[in-house]
Amino acid sequence: MSVLTRTDVTAVKFFNNYILAGVGSSVEIFNKDSAKFIRKIKILKGQKVHSIEYLKCESKFLIIGGKQFSIIELTFDCEEDVVSEQQVVYPIICNDWIHSGAWISKEKVAILTAHNVVQVWNIINGTFDKEYTSKDNSILYSGLLLPIQDDILVFSGTVFSEVIIHQCGDDVPLHHLKGHKGVIFSITYNSEKAIIVTTSDDRSVRIWTVVNKEPVNYKHKSYWSNAKISCVYNLYGHMARVMCSHITNDLIISIGEDSRICFWNHEGKLLRKIFAHQNSCIWSLDTDNRHLVTGGGDCSVILHPLSLVSEYGHKETIPINIDAPKKVKFTARQNILIMNEFNELIYYDLSSNTSKTHRLDHTSTYKLLSLSPCKQIIAVADMNGKLDIFVENCKGDAVIRKIIDTKLNLGKILSLLWAGNRHLVVCSENGLITVLASKEIDIEPVDEFHLPPCKERWLTSSALSSNRGMLVVGDRCGHIHVYLHGSRNPVKSFDKIYDRYGTTSITIKNNEAITTGRDGKIKYFSLSKDVNEIKYTNCKDVEFQWLEKFLDKDENYLCGFQERSFVVYDVKNNLKILEVACGGGHRSWDAVRYIEKINEHFEEFIQILYLKNYTLHSEKFRLSKIMSKNIINGIHSKQINCLKTYKDNGDRTATMFISGGEDTTLRISISDLNSKLKDELVFKQLSSIRTLKFHQFDKNKILLLSAGGRAQICAKIITFEVDHALKVSSEELVDYLIKGTDKERKGDKNWRDCAIDFDPETRIMDLEIVKIDNDFIIITACSDASVQIFNLNTDKRKLYPVQEIKYHKTCILKTHVFEFITKTLLVTCTTRGDVAFWEVEKPPKMLSSEPIFSMKTNKSGINSIDVNVIDNTGFLLATAGDDNAIHLNVIQVENYVLNSMKVINSWSSDKYHCSQVTGLKLMEDLMISTSIDQRLTLFTLSVTTDGVKCDFYSQCCSDVSDIHGLDVVDTSNDSITVSVFGKGIEVLRMLKPTK
Amino acid sequence: MGKTSKDKRDIYYRLAKEEGWRARSAFKLLQINEEYNIFEGVLRAVDLCAAPGSWSQVLTKKLRQNTENEDDVKIVAVDLQAMASLPGVKQIQGDITKISTANEIIKEFEGHKADLVVCDGAPDVTGLHDIDEYVQSQLLLAALNITTHVLKIGGIFVAKIFRGKDVTLLYSQLKLFFEFVTVSKPRSSRNSSIEAFVICQNYKPPPDYVPTMVNPLLDHKYCDFNEFTGPNRFIVPFNACGDLSAYDSDTSYPLLLEGQESYEYKEPVQGPIDPPYKEILEKNKSMQTNNL
Repeated sequence: MSVLTRTDVTAVKFFNNYILAGVGSSVEIFNKDSAKFIRKIKILKGQKVHSIEYLKCESKFLIIGGKQFSIIELTFDCEEDVVSEQQVVYPIICNDWIHSGAWISKEKVAILTAHNVVQVWNIINGTFDKEYTSKDNSILYSGLLLPIQDDILVFSGTVFSEVIIHQCGDDVPLHHLKGHKGVIFSITYNSEKAIIVTTSDDRSVRIWTVVNKEPVNYKHKSYWSNAKISCVYNLYGHMARVMCSHITNDLIISIGEDSRICFWNHEGKLLRKIFAHQNSCIWSLDTDNRHLVTGGGDCSVILHPLSLVSEYGHKETIPINIDAPKKVKFTARQNILIMNEFNELIYYDLSSNTSKTHRLDHTSTYKLLSLSPCKQIIAVADMNGKLDIFVENCKGDAVIRKIIDTKLNLGKILSLLWAGNRHLVVCSENGLITVLASKEIDIEPVDEFHLPPCKERWLTSSALSSNRGMLVVGDRCGHIHVYLHGSRNPVKSFDKIYDRYGTTSITIKNNEAITTGRDGKIKYFSLSKDVNEIKYTNCKDVEFQWLEKFLDKDENYLCGFQERSFVVYDVKNNLKILEVACGGGHRSWDAVRYIEKINEHFEEFIQILYLKNYTLHSEKFRLSKIMSKNIINGIHSKQINCLKTYKDNGDRTATMFISGGEDTTLRISISDLNSKLKDELVFKQLSSIRTLKFHQFDKNKILLLSAGGRAQICAKIITFEVDHALKVSSEELVDYLIKGTDKERKGDKNWRDCAIDFDPETRIMDLEIVKIDNDFIIITACSDASVQIFNLNTDKRKLYPVQEIKYHKTCILKTHVFEFITKTLLVTCTTRGDVAFWEVEKPPKMLSSEPIFSMKTNKSGINSIDVNVIDNTGFLLATAGDDNAIHLNVIQVENYVLNSMKVINSWSSDKYHCSQVTGLKLMEDLMISTSIDQRLTLFTLSVTTDGVKCDFYSQCCSDVSDIHGLDVVDTSNDSITVSVFGKGIEVLRMLKPTK
Repeated sequence: MGKTSKDKRDIYYRLAKEEGWRARSAFKLLQINEEYNIFEGVLRAVDLCAAPGSWSQVLTKKLRQNTENEDDVKIVAVDLQAMASLPGVKQIQGDITKISTANEIIKEFEGHKADLVVCDGAPDVTGLHDIDEYVQSQLLLAALNITTHVLKIGGIFVAKIFRGKDVTLLYSQLKLFFEFVTVSKPRSSRNSSIEAFVICQNYKPPPDYVPTMVNPLLDHKYCDFNEFTGPNRFIVPFNACGDLSAYDSDTSYPLLLEGQESYEYKEPVQGPIDPPYKEILEKNKSMQTNNL
């Protein structure tokens, strides 16, 4: 029985107030407004739901997937938010793949199969009615059925890049739509607009018009036979294959493999392009009057507002009439401050479109302008130390007035920053940092610090924690320093946290400092009175590189730049909120988030201001009109290679899923094992993550290791805290590359000039954590056939290489560690089916150069292994792999001597899986296996002196394709809960045999 | 990414370039032959879905060893796409689901039937495993269908197969036409790939079977002896093929292989001709793409 499924969402449909999503072989139903999960109905047998078509006014649904279709009737109780169903027609299995289906009456449905055959079925008694075979029977990639009077019109999307339109009854096709250069992935038709939209492998969307001289209804045969169909627009907006499209009254919406949604008008103009579903393919879409829903390869369903530019955004150029504007800023009252090249500061009142100029008598042309976080206090300084401070009136007339006019004697001023609303941080030559505070009508220095020497010795950001008397600054070279009141030198420094542009912002919140920079990472530091407890804890990766600052107090709306666009990103939901093509971050710009009352509703806005060609532009967005909402939260966007679940022994209902995959992310998610599975933490590695293991410190704290491509190993400490809700936090220990970074390997030479690097691109295939005394020993198995051993020092946060063993001749795929007669044994398995056993001893020489024992179990690569210790004389080894076979070997030792290992009994079978066996788990008297063939097999097992007895008990099918392994989540007296992972995650419950 | 990183990542990709094969898949056919001797006595062979032509290259090289007179060897390569020509290989740009293509092949063999049919065709994958597996199985069945028109009794058929969730349906279909069906994975095929090859030996169609192209062959349905889930599934024997000392496609090898003293980067032997994304690539170059 399937408990929870996350896989590609291949069908979505709006129905009244509900969203229906095809997730695997089931349909999941959600409330559109509250995003609440209502229920999951299993519909098909081992096939994904690819389309949902309903019969108007009847709430009967035709559900199609693979070679099957089924009809269900749903009863919606909107008051109680419950849905009950009745399966009218159980899955009917056709002899060919079904591309499309349509209701032709209340009693009949038609389906189009991949060899261009239309079948009509009577759904009252579930019987086959008739079929029409087309002569163009080469395989189709897409199709559309349109019921017309006394016939069905068939649109078939062929592999030969054309769309053929024919009537079921006719021998000769009516139209051939030619023009695409690749396979046709979708065909949609809108009768009101009389257009056909096709999408293709060739990255284009084509709009075709259906023109008729006579006014005939499209339901008439003659409409189609007399029509002239021609391609009017050939549209390019996607950077990869275009999977599907949808036509509304105003728009054509297309979705693609590039994770983009394009909104076109009927004249072929691209109005809006949004990015969703984390770089995975978007498979399905539907619209109602106000919304768009999409389903994607990251297993998520997202609801988007269906609004046009005129509704959500307001774009204007502001007629400031100022020569040579240089810097622009918003003030607290959302008016604008402009500094120009002529020693003037201009306050521009947006409501009255008037401006007031304040003359600055500065002597240097190099001027710094900085606004306090509340945006009410404005500081302007020139390089020679002339400082003016203005305050904006909070009530009454919109004006600014100068409150301080002074000269600082600090030498050349290099940066001027606010740290909170009361302190100014000035950085001047020779690394002098001066903190100034206001005192009556003047300012006085309260602290002086020394910035350690570096190439560009000035600050780019600062933040103050007043209760701790602590100042955190970031310099232009990417270092972060922490100072305490009264001490001249930093009490703690973090070298090279960011690249050469330095930090862009620092925010202090409770016991944490949050920084942004231009490497696409938000970094977190723990703050404490105890200097030793000030640590870099972890980071969060964002989809774009240049991060600037948070726009709200909850640190959720992060703004920055992606190539030439200004971007605002929702950190909590990993969604890009908006993109403005402003020309890039080197221009002067500012952005604010604010609340405004519109028609009795409080609405959230984001406004951006930027200078382009000496013109001041402003763009304003109402967030409720553009913010997308997750209906099903996304998980990995590509295959999951490794997954472990974690549940402490308390009565907590949450289960942790820790997973790593081809999308190069490591994720920690929490699930209720019902409908919820949400990422709490996401980390990015350089390449695919192939393996992860953890060691438990106590029930709320684990040491997590992950590794994979580019020979990268990462170690973290993950802490689970339970207040009223579960909170997961992390602390990074080590990010290590066995082969070193590109730079380390090749020196500072340019890529193009450097000599060829002869080192292989090693991948770490599997790893183990072994605790010996107080040391954590990390054993990694690599694709270059070596075993590399490290010692992890968690206090120093360092990984020290200990030993390298080259024994195997080919890539090692799997490792396993187990305790046997008080010794720790390591097993390594290769692509050639070799298994080797090693004793793990204390450092420095942990493994001998030759294994204790080796054997060949499988004909080719071993993809799964497990060991069960029987007693002090022997253990059971289970291996399975690419040869479909599971091998069990009882291995015995005599008199506790490991070298005496020998196989005394064996069992094997290749009957239960028809492709690579990727998961294997031994439990006392049971064994579970899983495979790429999407089956899970449960065996009963007994090992006696007579031999190994292993018998088939049951098998079930999973909706997750490309299964890479399994993990046992839970066991009870009568069942086992197992999670399989691959292109998605499924948690299944299998009944144990009754004793 | 460095130019050599693919050479480092994939030993067979590199070897293919160094040995002059158009694609690394050439090694797969060579390794299948090591295990099954499929070229023994073969003079007439058909390469279905031949582009870019590496299997035709292998066939040319190997079949010429079977005879004194090179002209006895007849190789026909069929593909929908255009393929750069190869000496000694007759190319037919055509659809394998059409009877005309089958007739053209027979004509090329002067009325004789083929001793061997190979097919390394793979569809444009969508990323959805169920569709990809289905389209691949249809490609294989289309290849099988045309094979029933052109293969001699007792002949051999080798084809690429995706070992996905419904592959047993294909096995039971193939077993109707051939006495021995085994599935095999060459050492040059990656462990992580779901691809494998079926080696179907001794072509022996059912007694009442009449080859036809009017209806496509469809795969079987699950039944008593081939259940959807359960202990009775139709699974054929598996074999890994290729010499144990051969290179392993999952292992990372240094650019300087054992016994080598220098390394030289080689360009691919044959690039793609007319891919569907050609137009957009050109458009991107001229910056015409709609960018918001």
